[in-house]
Amino acid sequence: MRKQVLSGLLGVLAAFVIGALVLLFQGFNPVTTYGALLQYSLLSASGFAATVTRAVPLILTGLSASIAFASGPVNLGQPGQLIMGALGVTLVGLFVRLPPVFLIPLCILASLLGGALWSGLAALLKRAFAMDEFIVTLMLNFIADYFALWVITYPLFDPSALSPMTRPISTAAWLPDLGGVNTSVLFMVFAAVVCWLIMSRGRSGYEWRMTGQNSLFARIGGCKVDANYVRVMLVTGALAGLAGGLMVMGGPHRFVKGLGANYAWDGIMIAVVAGSGVSGTFLYGLLFSALQQGAIGMELVTAVPSEFIDVLQAVIVLVVVAGRVSLNMVFDWLATRRKLKESAE
Amino acid sequence: MARDVLIDLRHITKVFPPDTIALSDVSVSFESGEIHALVGENGAGKSTLMKVLYGLERRDAGDIFFRGAKVEFRTPREAISAGIGMVHQEMLLIPEYTVWQNIVLGAEPVRAFGAIDVHRAREAVRQKIEEFQFNLEPDTLVGDISVAARQKVEILKLLYRNVSVLVLDEPTAVLTPQEIPQLFSELERLRDKGHTIIFISHRLDEVLTLSDRVTVMRRGKVVGTSAASELTKEDLARQMVGREVLFTSQRQPQEPGAMVFRAQGLNCSDAEHRARLHDVTVEVRAGEIIGVAGVEGNGQFELVNAIMGLAPMTSGTLEVNGKDIMRADILARRALISFVSQDRGKMGASINASILEDAIMTHHILDPGFSTWRGLGLNYRRAVAFTEQIRTQFNVSMSGVRDPFRSLSGGNQQKVILGRELLLETPFVLMDQPTRGLDVGSIEYVHQLLLDLRSKNRAVLLISADLDELFMVADRIVVMCQGDIVADLATNATSREEIGYYMLGGKETEHAETGS
Repeated sequence: MRKQVLSGLLGVLAAFVIGALVLLFQGFNPVTTYGALLQYSLLSASGFAATVTRAVPLILTGLSASIAFASGPVNLGQPGQLIMGALGVTLVGLFVRLPPVFLIPLCILASLLGGALWSGLAALLKRAFAMDEFIVTLMLNFIADYFALWVITYPLFDPSALSPMTRPISTAAWLPDLGGVNTSVLFMVFAAVVCWLIMSRGRSGYEWRMTGQNSLFARIGGCKVDANYVRVMLVTGALAGLAGGLMVMGGPHRFVKGLGANYAWDGIMIAVVAGSGVSGTFLYGLLFSALQQGAIGMELVTAVPSEFIDVLQAVIVLVVVAGRVSLNMVFDWLATRRKLKESAE
Repeated sequence: MARDVLIDLRHITKVFPPDTIALSDVSVSFESGEIHALVGENGAGKSTLMKVLYGLERRDAGDIFFRGAKVEFRTPREAISAGIGMVHQEMLLIPEYTVWQNIVLGAEPVRAFGAIDVHRAREAVRQKIEEFQFNLEPDTLVGDISVAARQKVEILKLLYRNVSVLVLDEPTAVLTPQEIPQLFSELERLRDKGHTIIFISHRLDEVLTLSDRVTVMRRGKVVGTSAASELTKEDLARQMVGREVLFTSQRQPQEPGAMVFRAQGLNCSDAEHRARLHDVTVEVRAGEIIGVAGVEGNGQFELVNAIMGLAPMTSGTLEVNGKDIMRADILARRALISFVSQDRGKMGASINASILEDAIMTHHILDPGFSTWRGLGLNYRRAVAFTEQIRTQFNVSMSGVRDPFRSLSGGNQQKVILGRELLLETPFVLMDQPTRGLDVGSIEYVHQLLLDLRSKNRAVLLISADLDELFMVADRIVVMCQGDIVADLATNATSREEIGYYMLGGKETEHAETGS
């Protein structure tokens, strides 16, 4: 655990140093660039609020991928599941008239169900026809994408709009801002805590992790690995769906074209950087969100293009993941030296 | 007679991080033209030492001298071209290729433009076979020949590359008792032709029969090198383990109790509709150990699958304590059956999990004390206490219950698994080669545990490839051959030769004829 924290910190630090070298090489001042990055993501009130709100879809899809990868199923369908969750919220928000106390929970439920439906479809195909969820979830992403585009272009199209989007959902389903921070953050934090409890304190989390590491061992140990597979797929789909739902409820309040953007793919990347751990995913999610948010401000005050942040993110992924291995090699080498010295005495 | 020192290993040290000293200041010399046995418990460092010599492991200190010159082999290829070859336990041959193709592979004689000179290659292989009098046919497919013959192909592969030193890593582990003498006479012939043979083993009888000199290793250190003729089995065992080891069975006579386990008429087939189990019937009573002998791959795997519910059977019945479990799911069976598998990393545990996580498997479902929050949560405090209980009760040496399972030695891993399974307190215990890959001390411990189970009136079915083990603990031995139970013999009224005869497919009636 302590090693993981150390390798993460060192990795991120090293990535920032590499980023600074890239900036210098391009003739920019790294200090002002990083200063602007920090100013517009964490140090200003509005920047911090935007960073935390942006972290909602990143962390939720990241948790989805982390739990799936740690438990065995290679669920790469977060983008599609996110869209189906957002679609679920849109449908409920457009056609159900209830006061917020009832409508908000109903919308949340719809987003969970929307995502779970999409991952459940992949689970069903796996169970019935042994189709690999790795490829099925990837393909379902395209179907979700174009299905949503059709829905917002034809049946639910807002005639007053210029591009494909639905009418706004009932204001009773809008999640308000509290001091600039959108309340969707509360749902995300709650979901993250539940995920941590399931994985680190729950019986299911234990069984899922064991199945992910060695499914034959778990099966002989009496775990219902097939049922657990379906449960993991449903839970991780629901998490990605929740991400989409919260985006609609907290953001544009309607389904607009290109809603999911790259959030889910970034979430998968975050899960990989975090080594499929729940708390790691949460922290890296905040970091990546801060970078993406800070990029906007950075572009305002410096001449550095925001694409630099893509480079920085890629460097973090590479350095942290590679660093995990090489740091272990350094630890091993140090331990060997120490042991040799001990035995020589 | 005085021989020249051929290989001299001086002060070799190897550390496996974080803190395992695999080899500590090891110095051994191997003389030209001798059969030199390297013995020791598992984890004593014998294989590691040979891997360091062979260029498969880097050493952290020390020097290697070969023919008087300091050498440094970075890869096995360099070692082979210098004249040192190693045969590993798991063989790496291509079953679809013929014997001669496998032998020349990687060192083919070529004609112009790189075309393989088939005629010359076959001829060279044939010559080698004749020179060393190996009973092999160059044109048969390797997939069609026995394990013993494949081993010969591996040895010939090295001889074809003109090695003068052969290192064999536990060559007899894969052979039946009948095949071992032939290997030994071939090795002796090689020695008489001037080859040097280094032979890793932990079967003491073999070591004493075959070798000229013996080096004993314990815990990464050399205990000593002596001439085999000056040693007894008891000496060797004492040097290996560091204390006296009992070789005689401690099995006390005991009347078996009620019928606990009964498998009747089990049948199953593989995907190609070949019968893998044929009318297998086994019964085990309380306070009884039934041993299952047989060459690997003769239905033991399928029998385990049948009992544990891992594969469907076409017909048959299975009962534990009179309860029909033929259609029960795995969890229901686990309430009645403790199971120790032969492969710790595959079925027995998750290597990358913590010791605690591996220790509580199955208990976390069957024992309500492990759940909190109405079964949603796992009681980790209880899990820690339980793992500590296994640690004290089964003498596991570990530094912390949350350490990775991988960091334990093989013997300690097996103790954790045994502890987990035996604390399930089931009436029936299924053990599939529970001592495989363990050292002498741990094997002794497992045998004692088995006999304890017997005196506690548990019913034990023990599948084993080690006849010594079966004779040590089993009350009766059944022999499996090609999916059939071909013999069922009381241990006191049979011999290793008789069991070996049935293992290789001898029938009861034929045996009676040849016996008369």
